[in-house]
Amino acid sequence: MNELIALALTVILVMLAAAYARRFGIGKEISLSGTRSIVQILILASIILVLFKLPLYWSLIVLLTMVAIAGHTTYTRSGKLDKVFPAAIFSIASASLLMLVPFFLLGIFPLEPQYLIPTGSILIGNTMNVSSLAIDRYRGEIKNRRNEVEAYLALGAGPKVAASACLKQGILSALIPSIDNMKNLGLVWIPGVMTGMLLAGASPFTAASIQIAIFTSIFAADLMASNLLLHYSTSSFFTGAAQLREDLE
Amino acid sequence: MNPVHLELKNVSRAVFRRVNKTRVKTQILSSLDLIVQRGELVTIMGPSGSGKTTLLRLINRLAEADSGSIMLNGKDIKEYDPFELRRKVGMVFQIPVVFRGSVNENLAVGMKLWGYENDIYALARDCVIPLELLNADAEQLSVGEKQRVCIARALANQPEVLLLDEPTSALDAASAEKIETLLLNLRKEKGLTMVWITHDREQAKRTGGKRYFLRNGRLEEDHE
Repeated sequence: MNELIALALTVILVMLAAAYARRFGIGKEISLSGTRSIVQILILASIILVLFKLPLYWSLIVLLTMVAIAGHTTYTRSGKLDKVFPAAIFSIASASLLMLVPFFLLGIFPLEPQYLIPTGSILIGNTMNVSSLAIDRYRGEIKNRRNEVEAYLALGAGPKVAASACLKQGILSALIPSIDNMKNLGLVWIPGVMTGMLLAGASPFTAASIQIAIFTSIFAADLMASNLLLHYSTSSFFTGAAQLREDLE
Repeated sequence: MNPVHLELKNVSRAVFRRVNKTRVKTQILSSLDLIVQRGELVTIMGPSGSGKTTLLRLINRLAEADSGSIMLNGKDIKEYDPFELRRKVGMVFQIPVVFRGSVNENLAVGMKLWGYENDIYALARDCVIPLELLNADAEQLSVGEKQRVCIARALANQPEVLLLDEPTSALDAASAEKIETLLLNLRKEKGLTMVWITHDREQAKRTGGKRYFLRNGRLEEDHE
C-alpha cells in the first residue's frame, strides 16, 4: 500500500513540476524526464527482483550494460567527438570497478547481487555525472581559450601541453559538487545509502561507516574517471597535424 | 640575391561562415603565390576578412590549405614534423596572449619544450622588457608589454621565420612605435625572415620591405 502512495505522490510532483516549468520553456522536458524516470526505475526494480535470484555473472552483465549507457551519455555530452565513446566507457568502467572491488575483497559486503548491483550502480552513476561535467567543461574551455591553446601550438607545443590549463579547469569544475558534498556531509544532508540503511533499521554508526566508505570511493572514482577521460579525449579536439579542430561547437 | 626561404604556390583556402544558422562557404585565398628570400621582410596589407591571418596560419600550419603547396627551405611544410615546423616558423598574434605565470615563466616555455639553453636576460634586453618585470605576473602587464613578452617568447624558440599578425594594431601609438622599432631592429640583428601583416600602409612603407596587397584571394605587389 505504501509503495502505491509513494508512486502516486511522485506522479503528482512530476505533473506539478512540469506545469510550473512551462514558464521557463522546459515543461515538456521535465514531464518527459519525470515519466522516463518512473518507468525506468519500475523496470529496474522488476529486473533486480529477477537478478537477485540469478547467478552472479548476470549482475556483472547488468553493470557492464550500465557502463555502456553511462559512456554513451558522457559521449553525447562531449558533442559526439571521435574517440570519446571508448574513452568514456574505459574511464567509467575502470574507475568504478576498481573502487567496487575493495568492498567485496575486504568483506564489507558479501559478494551477492543485492549488494553488487546497487553499490556498482552508485559508483557508475556518479562517475558518469562527473565525467559528463568534466568533458562538457573541457570542451567549453578549449573553445573559449582557443587563442591561448593556439598560442601554445604556435610555439611547437603538443596538444597535451596546449590544453593542459583547460584540462585542469575541466576536472576542477566537475569535482566542485563532489567536494562541496563531502564538506557538508552530515551537516546539510544525510546521503542516500545512510538514509536507506537507517530506514531499514541499521544502527546509525554502521550506516555512517558504510556511507563514508562509499562516499570516499565515489570521490576517488570521480577523480580517476574524469582524469582518464580528459586525458584520453584530448586528441579528439585536434587534427593529426596538431591543429585545433575548427568545427568545435 | 639570397636563396628562397619561403614559397607559396597556388595556395587556396575556403572557410565556412555561419550565416543565419547555415554554413556558407567563402573562398578567401585562391591560387595565391608568394616568394620570400632568406632574411627578407615582406608586408601584406588588405581589408578585414581578406584572409591575411588565414595566410599566416597556413604557413605556421595552424590550419591546412585546401590545395597548393607551401615550401620552407625547398621542402613542403607537410613533410616537416608540425612541432618542429612551428619552432622554425614563429608567430606573433594580433592580440597578445600571455600564459598564466610570471614573465620569466612565459619566456621559458620554449626552453622547456625544446631543451634550449637561452639567456632569459639577454632575451628580455633584446625585446626591451625591463629586467624588473621578469618576476611580474604576465597577466597584469599592459598590452604593449604583453606583446613584447610574446615576441620574446617566439624568439626564444630561435626561429628562422617570424610571422607577425598585425602586431601593433591592438596598441596605442607610442607602444606601437616601440614594437615596430623593436621588430625592425631584431630583423637587422638576427637576419630573420619576416612576413608582416598590417592594415597601415605607412607602417608597411616604414619597414622598407616588399609590400603586397591581398585582394580577391591573391597577392598583388604594392608599388605606390
